[in-house]
Order: sequence, then C-alpha cells, then structure tokens
Amino acid sequence: MTSEVTTKDTGSEPAPPPRKGRSRTDFVSALFRFQSLFGLVAVFVVAVVFSPRHNGELLFLNADNLANVVRAVSEIGIIAVGMTFVILVGGIDLSVGAVLGLAAVGSAVLMVNDGSGVFVTVVLVLLIGLFFGFLQGIASALFGIQAFIVTLAGMQIARGLARIWSGGQGVAIAYGDDAGEAPVAFSLLGERTFNGLVPIPALIFAVVAIVAIVFLRTTAFARHVYAIGGNEKAARLSGVPVIRVKVIVFCICGFLAALAGIVHAGQLNQGSPNDGFGYELDAIAAVVIGGTSLMGGRGSVVGTVAGALLLGVLNNFLGLHGVDPNVQLLVKGLVIVAAAGLQRLRPTAA
Amino acid sequence: MDDAVNPLVEMIGISKSYGGVRACRDLDLTVRAGEVHALLGENGAGKSTLMKVLSGDVTDHEGTITIDGVPRKFTAPVDAQRAGVAMIHQELDLVPELSVAENIFLGRELRTRLRTVDRRRTNQVTRGLLERCGVALDPRRPVGELRTGEQQLVTIAKALSLDARVLIMDEPTSALSSVEVEQMFTVISELRRAGAGIVYISHRMDEIGRIADRATVLRNGAFVAEFDARELTAEAAAEAMVGRPVQAMFRTRDVEPGEEILRVTDLALTPRRERSGRREPDGISLSVRRGEIVGIGGLLGSGRTELLETLYGAGSAGTLRGEILFRGKPFHPRGARQSLRGGMALVPEDRRIAGLSLEHSVTANTVLSIVDRISKAGFVPRATETGAVRRITGELKVKLSSVGDAVGTLSGGNQQKVVFGRMLLTEPVLLLLDEPTRGVDVGAKAEIYQLLGEAAQQGIGVLLASSELAELVGVCDRVVVLSGGRSVRELDTRQAGEADLLAASMGEGSAALAVDVSGGDA
Amino acid sequence: MARRRAVAAVLSAATALSFSVACGTTSENSGQSQDSGGNAKECGGPDGKYTIGMSQANVAEPYRQRMDDDIKAAAEKVPQFSVEFADAQQDNAKQVSDVENFLTKQIDLLIISPNEATPLTSVVAKAYNKGIPVIVLDRKVDGDAYTTWIGADNVEIGRTAGEYVAKELLPDGGKVGEIRGLAGATPAKERGDGFREGIKGKNIEIVQSVDGDWLREKGQSQADALFKAHPDIQVLYAHNDPMAEGAYLAAKAAGIEKNMKFIGIDGLPIPSGGLKAVEQGRLSATLIYPTAGKEAVDTAKKLLVDCQDVPKEQTLETELITIDNAATVYNEANS
Repeated sequence: MTSEVTTKDTGSEPAPPPRKGRSRTDFVSALFRFQSLFGLVAVFVVAVVFSPRHNGELLFLNADNLANVVRAVSEIGIIAVGMTFVILVGGIDLSVGAVLGLAAVGSAVLMVNDGSGVFVTVVLVLLIGLFFGFLQGIASALFGIQAFIVTLAGMQIARGLARIWSGGQGVAIAYGDDAGEAPVAFSLLGERTFNGLVPIPALIFAVVAIVAIVFLRTTAFARHVYAIGGNEKAARLSGVPVIRVKVIVFCICGFLAALAGIVHAGQLNQGSPNDGFGYELDAIAAVVIGGTSLMGGRGSVVGTVAGALLLGVLNNFLGLHGVDPNVQLLVKGLVIVAAAGLQRLRPTAA
Repeated sequence: MDDAVNPLVEMIGISKSYGGVRACRDLDLTVRAGEVHALLGENGAGKSTLMKVLSGDVTDHEGTITIDGVPRKFTAPVDAQRAGVAMIHQELDLVPELSVAENIFLGRELRTRLRTVDRRRTNQVTRGLLERCGVALDPRRPVGELRTGEQQLVTIAKALSLDARVLIMDEPTSALSSVEVEQMFTVISELRRAGAGIVYISHRMDEIGRIADRATVLRNGAFVAEFDARELTAEAAAEAMVGRPVQAMFRTRDVEPGEEILRVTDLALTPRRERSGRREPDGISLSVRRGEIVGIGGLLGSGRTELLETLYGAGSAGTLRGEILFRGKPFHPRGARQSLRGGMALVPEDRRIAGLSLEHSVTANTVLSIVDRISKAGFVPRATETGAVRRITGELKVKLSSVGDAVGTLSGGNQQKVVFGRMLLTEPVLLLLDEPTRGVDVGAKAEIYQLLGEAAQQGIGVLLASSELAELVGVCDRVVVLSGGRSVRELDTRQAGEADLLAASMGEGSAALAVDVSGGDA
Repeated sequence: MARRRAVAAVLSAATALSFSVACGTTSENSGQSQDSGGNAKECGGPDGKYTIGMSQANVAEPYRQRMDDDIKAAAEKVPQFSVEFADAQQDNAKQVSDVENFLTKQIDLLIISPNEATPLTSVVAKAYNKGIPVIVLDRKVDGDAYTTWIGADNVEIGRTAGEYVAKELLPDGGKVGEIRGLAGATPAKERGDGFREGIKGKNIEIVQSVDGDWLREKGQSQADALFKAHPDIQVLYAHNDPMAEGAYLAAKAAGIEKNMKFIGIDGLPIPSGGLKAVEQGRLSATLIYPTAGKEAVDTAKKLLVDCQDVPKEQTLETELITIDNAATVYNEANS
C-alpha cells in the first residue's frame, strides 16, 4: 500500500458539521433579521423621549398625532408593499408614483365628470393599475428590457396619461347627489373610525399589509418569487415559470399603486396629474430600510411596514420640532444609507 | 539534498479558530523547493484555511511560517506576495472585460515615461509569459471571451509574472479539458525545474499520482497522514480523509436495463442568434434505457452541456432538427417546467450559478420544483414540505445541522446532493446530469456514485455528462463521445478504458477497444 | 424559537420603557369637535402669550419667502407673539401634515397660504372647528370654514394687466402668449380670467397658454417651446415675475427679446424681484401683489390681543408698475 506514512490520528469518527457560535451570534443575527423592527422601536423611543411637551403632555404620544403619523404613511405604505414584491423578484418599479397620480385623476374624473358610482370607479381604476403593471411586466419579463428602463418609461407615460385625462389640471371632488358631484360614500376615505381615531387609509394599509405578509409566508407562488430573486437561472431550471411570476408581480404592484391613488383622491378630495410625484423613491426607501435586498430574494413585507412607519415617525418627530424640511430630507437620506449599510454588515452564511 | 533540511516553506503549529470552530489545529506543513505537495481533505478539513494563512489572507493565527529560512509574519496578502507566495484561487479572480495582459498586470501596470500605461510593453511581456506556459493566446483578447480552461492558464501566467517561489493551486484542473490539463502539467514541471514549491489542492487522484511528490491529508483541521503521492490509492486517500474505510468508488453494474426511455436521432440546433463560446448540437444520436447510466464524453467545448440543455428545453432558441423520442413519444423541448412535468430532470453544471439560491434554506432549495405539486389551493402545507425535505436529505445522507440552514453553509458535495434531492423529488424517469461531481471531495463523490447506482436500480435512466474520464468509465454503462457537437463514437465501458475514451474524444480512433484497464477501478 | 422569544422580549421592553416615560400623560382626543367655530376660544387679551403657526405652500418661490419674511418682521413688533414656520415644498399631503403637526402642538392661531384649494380644505376646517382662528392668505380654500381671507383681487390684477396691454402695448391689436401659474391654485385661474376681461373686445389674441407652475425654470422652458411654436408673439403675459423673467431669458437665448414685451405680477421689492426687473428694462410692467404678511399679523393681533372681530374677506390694493414708477416704489418699500 503506502510507504513512508506518518500518521497522527485524532479520532476515528468524523465530527459533526460545525455548529454556529452560541446564543451571542444567534442574537446578533436575529438583530439583523429584524433590523427594521428594532430601528422602528429605537426611533419611536427617541421620539417619545425627546418629544416636545405642552402643559406636561408628551405631544408625540397624543392619540391624534399617532393617528396622523399612520395616516400619513398609509399611501406610501400601500405602494411599498407592492414594491416589495417587485424588488423581491429582482426588479424595480419606478412608475408607482405616476400610476398613483393616474389613479387619483381617474377616480376624480370618473365620478365627477362621468358620474360613475363608487364601485364601478374603484373597480375600473384598479383594473387600470393592474393592466399598466401587466404591460410593464410583459415588457420587462418577456422582452427582456431592464425593469429600470421599462418603469422609467412607464412613469412618463402614466404622467402623460394623467395629464391628458385630467385636462392638465386637478379635478376637484365635491360630494353630493347632483351632476358633477361624487357619491358621498367615497368621502369615507377621508374619515376616521373607532371613535374618530383610526383613519380609514390606515385600515386599508393594515389589511393590505396583513394579506401580503400571509401570502408571502404560505403560498407556492411566494416561493417562486423568492426563488427567482435568489437565483433566477436556478429557478428557471427548477421549473419555476419565471416570466409568468414576474408579470403577475408587476400586476400586483400596479394594482396597489392604483389603490393608493384612490385613497389619495379620497383624502385630498382631488385628483391631480401631479399627485404622487416622487412617491416611488419613498416607497423604495421604506423597502430598503425594511431590510429587503435590492438584489432580490431576501426580505419581507413586515420589514417594509416597519420601514414605512420608521420614516413616518421620523418625519413627524422632525416636523414637531420644526426642523427645516431640507434638513428632513438630509436625515431621511442618512437613514436610508445607514439601513443599507447595516445590511452589508449582516453575518453572512459561514 | 539539503532541501529536506532547509525546506522552502515551513509551517509549524498553525492553529486558527472562527468563533467556536477550530479550523486548523496545530498543523505542520513543509514544502521543498522543486516539489509538488498535494493537500487533500474533505471540505471543511482545514485545507483552505491553512492556505489562507500561507497566502496572507488570514493574519491572526497561532504558529509560525518560515519561507526560505526567514520567519515571516504576514499582515496582508500583499506581504505574502512580496515574500514570493502566489495563490491561484478556484474562483478565478479575473476581470472579464479587461484583456489577458491587462488582467495579468492589474494593479501593477507597466508605465511609460509619461506615466501612462505602456500597452505595447505589457502585451509584449505577456506574450513571453504565455509562451513559457505553452499557451497560444492573444494577450489583447478580453478574458471574458476565453474558455474556463484558458482563463485558468491566464491566472497561472499571472502568478508566474509575480515571480512566485511558492504557488498555491486550489483545484486548478476542475474546469480543464484533458488537453489543457496536459498544458497545465507542462507549466507545473517548468515551475518545478525553476525551483518553485507548489501546494496542489485537488480531489483528482489520477492527477495527484502523476504530478505530486508528497500528499498530506487533513481531517477536521488536524493532520492525519502524509503519503508518497505516487503510490497513494484512491481508497487509502478516501479512508484517511473520511476516517473510516470507504466502499468501492464506483458501482457494480448489475442492473438489467429496461425499456427505452430516450432516443435522440440526428439532433441538431440552429440557434436564432449566434452565442460565442457555445457548441450547439450538430448531429447527435443516442439512446438511454431505464436502469442505464449513459455517459456523454468529449473534450471541453464538444457540446456536452449544450446537448443536455437542449434536451431539457433550456438551450438556445432556434430551430431544432432531428427527432427526440421520450417515453416512446415525440418530444419537443419547451422548457424546464414542461420537461419536469414529463419526468425529465436536469442537474446543471455549476450549482452556484444555475443550481442553488445560496442564501436560502435547504428546505426552500430542495422543495422548489415540487411546491406546486404539494400545495393545496396555492398554500404550501408545512408538514408535507418538511417531511419531503427530511426524507430526501436523509436518503441522500446530506450533512447538515438543520434543514433551515442556508444552503451556502454546506460543503460542495452536500450542496450538490441538495440539487439532486430537488430533482429526485420530482420523480423523474430520466435524469440528466452535467458534471455532477465537480468541486466535490472524494467521500461525497463516492456517495453520489452510490446514489446514481440506486437511481438506476429504481429504473431511472441517467444521462451523465462529464469531463472526468475515470468517472465516465467507472460509473457509466456506455459512453457517447461528442466532438464538435456531433456524436462520433460510442464505447462500452466493459471493454473500453480511459485511454480509449481519451483517444475517441480527440478524434483518434482505435480499431480494437483493447481491454487495457488503466483507471476505472482506481 | 428562543430567538423569537428574545426578540419579542426586547421589543416589548423597549415599548414599555417608552410608555413609562410617557407615564400616562396622553390626553384624550376624540377628533373633531363640532363647535360654532371661529372665536369659540376665549380671547386671551394682552396678557397672554400666543403661538402662531404659519403653513407656507412653497418657500422656494420668492413671493412666498417674502410673505414669510413680512410675517416675521411684523410679529417681532408684537411681544405676545411667537411664530413657527412650516414649508410644504409644493406638496399638498405635506402641507396637510404640517397643519396637523401645528394642531398637535396646540397653536393658538393658524395662518396658511394653501398650495391648492381643495386638498387643504378639510384640514383647515379641522383647525377652525377646534376653535382655532384661521387666517387664509393669498390663495383660497373651498367652503367657508375659516376666520378671514386676506389677499389681493387677482381678477382685478389680471384685468389691469389686460387693460395695460390693450391700451399701451398693443393699441392696434396683436398676439399674446400666456404663461400660467400652478393649475388648481385660484390665483392662476383668476389672473387668467381677469386678463381676458381686460382685453375683451380689442383685437388681441392669446395664441397659446402654457403652465409655468409659478417657477422660473419652468417658465423658461415653457416659454422656449412657446416661442418656437409662435415666433410672432408680441407680448408675453406671465402670472408672476419669476416666470416672466424666465421667459425673458428664453427669448434672449433665441435672440428675439427685443421683439416682444414682458409682463409679470408680484412686484417684490427685492433685488431679484419684479420692480428691479422693470427698472432695468427686462419687464415692461408688473403689478404689485402684496404679500399680506403684515396684514395677517395685524389681523392676528386684533383677534387674539384686542379681542375684536374681523371681516370675512380683506382685499388688498394693487398698483401697476412701469418704468416711470419702478424705482420710487422700490425705495419706498425698503425704507
């Protein structure tokens, strides 16, 4: 057999694969997994501790103020949920703000100018958003054009359509039964329930978020989404219908952007072609802060919701302190960089 | 010679821990000038960590390194480079967009008097380097256009240009064709003659036997044994690496093949768009029966991968000529999804690029192809899912601590088993495999061959593309040899050996398939 | 599992900590109280200290920056007042949040220059219905849930501009190009309507209207397109000075600025304002649009300190500025 053998045997059984370090590393990795939740709690605590006071009351914790915070993030939150899907699959959708504007305009025009009922309007507008997402999905998934480019173009197209449909101006919504007035039911969107405390948009956001969270945890479709984001080639070879999944995901995003637009119109009682300008960046910020990787395959709607709320609390805190809005932009930017930077520090798989 | 007394490289008492895991335990290693010292061990045995210590990539460790009699303390890879240590990684660190010459001189560009980059001189020097390696390449070509084997030779040329005295080669031949392997060995001989010391990490016993002088085996971070490489058998090596006797490497062929499950006649593909670096099928005929393992051999670039991809429906878009009969019926490959549904599964060539989502859990990766099948009303029942994953990872003996672990934490062999598992869960009747044991250590290799044997016994037909001659001859019943996209020969492995296979691949026919068993039962 | 429990523990600990700081001092707030509105709050009189919240639509517009400055200067003269400023940066939703924040901080009086009428109506009404006096400046909101509106008559201003064009610039008729302010803001509509009244019956044609959104850069780019489409425009009527200046730049770049006359509105007494522009010959005319800042603070004083009532609408006067009076008016305003 062999000659010149020097042996130093250290046991005959192969050791089991190395276990990760104990609870310390577990805790650290949990910290990263839930980084957005911890971030939200941290910002919340800071906002409470440094809250301005009036007559001994902590203004930040005023119930009305907290309701305002949630209301203010609801539209971005709804959009961000849809955006999470698209980013998970490795894409991006820059058109969501413009689709929101298109939907807001559509809602206003259909009810005020065309006299449609609430149900018909809502269904039509949602379908428009869905169809818009469908077209973008086809362009990017089937024809292979980069999602960034497709949705950048989509953004311009949606704005243009909104301008045309609205005649270039905002369409005001007055409520009543006469011609040129929208059904009173639509004004529900601007109301608050539960003792006048919980804003309806916040409820809608909550429902959308919960449905999305459950969906992403339990369905086979969600597995396909994560698989494509994790390794698209491997997913395709494993039998995942990549094109179909991507198109559906874009449909979801467009649908939710349209939903946000309907809420927007109901809140501001107006549909204007400039509505939603810049919302796509806030939505992406919420998703990134929430821990979803822009490369796809990793992330959750829970994180996105936490990210959106974090931004909302931050905005409110700075606003209550009268901070210059330009400084607010700066802070927001720093938070995004910090969140993205933290992602890099995550303990990667050994 | 006094080299034995004054070795070129002397590593003494190297220990390194990551958290609670001891990657290296008091390891000693010496490399003499002009020696090729093979380093063996399962993944996780400590080979890569030890080499990271030597190349300056890992700096906080216990133990000493002495190079040419001078004790060294590296604080960064560049220190090691200056001491004459060059590391050639398994994952080539080349920039695809830059040329061969630019890559070789990356970071230390030759400059003119005006401080601009001296392209002419760079190309000139590179040409000389390449000639010394016996490689005929244009130094101006972008590295991304080269085949993997050529890229590997470029990294070696780069090491040469660094005037390295100590070279560490990590799986240098894993992506090379036989011809390129020969080229590599020429370079290595050249380096030996120049007095360099080479650490050669590999799982290929035939190469180790040919090129190495000594072979050291590690296990669990500790030294196990040192052998004379020329006399080391695969069984002895495997036993040392694993710690217990290992069953015979290759399977015994005792399965009666059943009905024909695949028949390919004159398959040819005219791609809609020419893609460089691909050899599309251009006249391939073969057949596979249930219970058979049919190998696809041929040199690198002969079209093995492309054939499998085309059959699976994952190849280039274009017009397909010829006929494919699958399960007795005409088959038109449309895509992976349809193929899987029909009972054809593919284990792709590079598991990291095309097989796995490394960040996701073992469960997620394993069950991906059957999520639709097991879900009810679109929802995935966790119990069914976990049950399936546990069952298959148990059957395949995948070593892991929990099915929730990220698949990237597994060793190469276990990762490959996960890909297998995923495909086997789809209950295929035809299994296509592309280089299934690349980057897999000897122990896991044997297990994979076992699995293939069991699959064949269950009546699955297997089509196995490989560049490893020993593998083809040892595992397959028949081998179809491709050349230039055509099927040129078919060999019966009961009669043909590795030499015949190589000859057939290179286009030299030998009338008599001599019963010269060189290799086969290593 | 232990991991999840650890996370939950930390989260609840943190939340408990923050609530312990709050320590039960949250007040009840049952949303909108339907008062009679207006002066439902007791008038504090000269002994009180009052916080005023000023919600501005877009400080980037020089006119609005001047409005804020005028308010600040006037408030400094009233010892009982402290003013907080918010800038919505042309975003309706942000302005709604700004007002909501003011309400949270329990200001004593709200001054607001709304970005657009309809979207801001309900939050202004919310403030008004809580008993907080609301002064609306320059732009209007819908309905009448506010204490008073102060502004100039934009229709009158537009008409004056139109009459000036009809009488002085194009007595024999001619072509006019129009650059409008932000659609959805009442001033734009009114300045447009007024102008058309002013040129009615004369042989003057508005060949095209474009949207400048009150912004100089947009005015410039829109004017550029406008001049290319209609090179025979003789008068350019912009709804504010920045847009008019932008149009001037566009014409200058095309080399045609000598062929036409430019009219703006605002007439701010600042170095980059319309008065200087007229004095230096870039604009033929502008119309003073008072910022109403000083008047707003005066009204606030009446409401909070002097406990008086104020009229629902207070219209301010305008003045036509040409090269004849530009310099004098500028010096007066800055004395």
